[in-house]
Amino acid sequence: MERSARAGSWRPGPVLVSLVVGGAAAVLVLYPIFYLIQASLSVGDPQARPPEAYGLDNYAGLPRYAHIFWNTVLVAVIATVFAIVLGFAMGWTLSRANVPGREALEQMMALPYYVTPLMGALAWSLIGSPSGGFLNQVWRALGGDGHLIDITTPYGIAWVMALFEGSVAFVMIGAVMKSMDPALEEASQVLGAGRLRTMLKITLPLVLPGVLGATIFVFAEMLGSFSAALVLGLPNRFYVVTTAMYQLVSQYPPRFPQAAAMGVSLFAVMFVMVYIYRRIISRGSYVTITGKAFRPRAMDVGRLRWILFGICLLYLAIAVLLPVLTLLYASFQRLATAFPRLDNFTLANYVTALSLDAVRSALWNSLLLGCATSILGVLLMGFLSWLIYRSRLPGAGVIEYLLMFPQAVPRLVFAFGMLWAWLVFPIPIYGTLWLLLIAYLTVFLPLGVRTISGVMLQIDRTLEESAQMCGAGWGYRLRTVTMPLLRPGLIAAALLLFIASVRELGASILLMGPKAKVITPAIVESWFSTSTELTAAMALLQTLAVAVALALLFAVARRALRPVGE
Amino acid sequence: MTVSPAPETRRAASIDVKDLVVRYGTVTAVRGVSFSVAAGEHLTLLGPSGCGKTTTLRAIAGLEKPTAGEIRIDGTVVYGSGTRVQIPPERRGLSMVFQSYAIWPHMTVFDNVAYGLRVRRESESVISERVGWALDLVQMGELAGRSASKLSGGQQQRVALARAFVFSPSVLLFDEPLSNLDAKLRAEMRIELKELQLQLGITSVYVTHDLEEALAISDRIIVMRNGIIEQIGTPAEIYDLPRNAFVADFVGSANLIRGRRRPELDGHGLIVLETPGGALIHGMAHGRRAGREAVFSARTVHLQLSREHPASAHNVWPARVKSRVFQGDFTQYHLDWDGRRLVLRCVTAEPVAEGTDLFLSVDPRYCVLLEEESPLVVGSPSP
Repeated sequence: MERSARAGSWRPGPVLVSLVVGGAAAVLVLYPIFYLIQASLSVGDPQARPPEAYGLDNYAGLPRYAHIFWNTVLVAVIATVFAIVLGFAMGWTLSRANVPGREALEQMMALPYYVTPLMGALAWSLIGSPSGGFLNQVWRALGGDGHLIDITTPYGIAWVMALFEGSVAFVMIGAVMKSMDPALEEASQVLGAGRLRTMLKITLPLVLPGVLGATIFVFAEMLGSFSAALVLGLPNRFYVVTTAMYQLVSQYPPRFPQAAAMGVSLFAVMFVMVYIYRRIISRGSYVTITGKAFRPRAMDVGRLRWILFGICLLYLAIAVLLPVLTLLYASFQRLATAFPRLDNFTLANYVTALSLDAVRSALWNSLLLGCATSILGVLLMGFLSWLIYRSRLPGAGVIEYLLMFPQAVPRLVFAFGMLWAWLVFPIPIYGTLWLLLIAYLTVFLPLGVRTISGVMLQIDRTLEESAQMCGAGWGYRLRTVTMPLLRPGLIAAALLLFIASVRELGASILLMGPKAKVITPAIVESWFSTSTELTAAMALLQTLAVAVALALLFAVARRALRPVGE
Repeated sequence: MTVSPAPETRRAASIDVKDLVVRYGTVTAVRGVSFSVAAGEHLTLLGPSGCGKTTTLRAIAGLEKPTAGEIRIDGTVVYGSGTRVQIPPERRGLSMVFQSYAIWPHMTVFDNVAYGLRVRRESESVISERVGWALDLVQMGELAGRSASKLSGGQQQRVALARAFVFSPSVLLFDEPLSNLDAKLRAEMRIELKELQLQLGITSVYVTHDLEEALAISDRIIVMRNGIIEQIGTPAEIYDLPRNAFVADFVGSANLIRGRRRPELDGHGLIVLETPGGALIHGMAHGRRAGREAVFSARTVHLQLSREHPASAHNVWPARVKSRVFQGDFTQYHLDWDGRRLVLRCVTAEPVAEGTDLFLSVDPRYCVLLEEESPLVVGSPSP
């Protein structure tokens, strides 16, 4: 029967609350975008607010930056191809082949995502910068000439980004592979098709739309990525759109309108890509997306399984272990070098990191913001999820679309809009942690809503309806049925929000005030202006905070996987 | 089942549904349905999936907002398109058993059942007494302390039942409550439900697509298709006197036989059709009007096979056994008759071999004239 239809069993109470919360979300999202577009149309004095005159000159001037757009596309394409190949190989291996330790490996595949691109970039800079990179030091010590690898090239930047994004591609493609009914392949084999023919004629066409969707999603993310290009590209004056925007804003005098025009262009392109992605996903790929999760029987791949096993381990080693160990190694040295010398080892970097007021307050601010974002975020995003997927209120669909915006806009671009928006805000929050809190709550809206609604959609609607039929009103139902069932999702969302806030860079770097610093931009500042070794220590301290939250997350996730109520 | 009086009985309520229309965008799920349920009556909405029966039930519950019409419970308007009244489900005083059971997994069995009483702010002593009574009634008294996530399907069904009637609602709604149980358990629960209904005396509206369930537990049945009512009647009326081909076919298997009227042969309260193959069939009109062409419905169990020519004057023809399907409780024969196929079910001990020529007969009382309505009447019934 048609259950999805909307029934209007609502009263003024929830409507009013929904209007307020939905309206707040709309303001959070649209207000900065309005200012971003306004800034891009400003053709008078670039510093003037509001703009003195409007025109399209900033867009007309964009061809001057053609090489930057080209760089962006180049890096994004290389990184996407690499990440998708990686994600597809791992996704197929871990969902379809009888690789030893499949389940454990699958869980660990999420780890590269938590080793941020920033961490990766710092570590790979230590490993592969042309002059002082550890690998190149070894190369020269062995009698090599010049450098073996150069991580500061577009290929190097793409490599670092792909290692990180490969984990995202894996999760997306793996989900597609797992949602395919194994009977479809078995039918082909029963009818006499060999394994290869089945793979080419059945498996591939079925998963193709899902893989295409993942490709577009990853490509859009790559277009907007910031930290790897910043750390590895800036010293060489190799710019992509996001780093160029950052440069235009932070130089003196800042050129806001040009940066805004660039941001709007990027925004437009990514918005189209996210739209296409959603179209592909929502149309469903034949029978693949049935919503049912299958545990396909693993194919026996013979001795190949050890090779595949090795490839998975190698990926984890390169994407997780190597960066962390490199930073760890560097952080304990006075002067980072490939060859260990006893008198070079020291704890001084950690002592400095923890005693420097700037670092300590930044770390403290980040933890504080992380907690505030996760608590307020869960309340806000939990309510928004309920509003969108459960309330049956008119306008819920509009809010769902609004929440798509922060996903489509790189955080740096979004923060640029906020920079202007909140400068003119009557309450002076600019340069304080409050602005960062607002920024985090805005840019992480899609993350939180997606996490919570994922759990919410698994809760059968009749569980709430039966409470209603027992005579329970709106608030009572929410308190006794909806909230308790949603608890694992809420806790997971809180931890994810904490992790995301603590390591956020793109928005923080633009919005952070000199008196209210947070840790990730402080790490970048330290990288460019102080010592490599101190930076490594700071990055590891940040990682420690994230790791603790991550451990809690995994514990919750494991508990949430069991049936509720046990 | 232990029989103990309900601690407190509320007067059962009547339900009146008038011109109910439910539309979702461009799809109209219910297109103008009217019926009444008397206080204490057990009514069943029966029909194939997509016929609008669940939507109608949910509209009564208040879980779907109708597009037009009026719904009254005990005379009080709970939905009225004219008066713009829409009372939320929690204030309609009804209760409902869901197809998915909707047992809250984070509570114990006791807490699940006690929910409606806690909502009504009953004292803890009243709650424990009534929950105990309700759980005993569904034979779940011993499992009160168990976590609801550790129940089997049948146990969940019983808890869902207890939860639904524990607070003495004026109406109980059932949305295909037995469809997720296996066949054997379903048959048992059907009997228990019937006994429970008798004990509680609550008005009930029951939705199902299962004929046997509907026949077993209802005072009256409403057969629905495509959002409209095809027939309303007692189980016996629905079964013996299907109004049209759809009802005849949906409510148990029937042979539909079309033919030309031969009014000159009518007599003794019987009317006569001549099939395209020239066979004459005598049947009952039951006051229904027939045009030049008409259709008889004859249930598969009412056809009879015999080796000798039976004594009766009407409705005896030669036929040949085309195939035989052994089904355990009965044997199904597919017959070549008058250039078409007929289906017959019987419980004869002695099987008839395929290819055998026999006599087919049917008592004219069991040939029921159908009302003209659809071009559906071409082939043989679904086996």
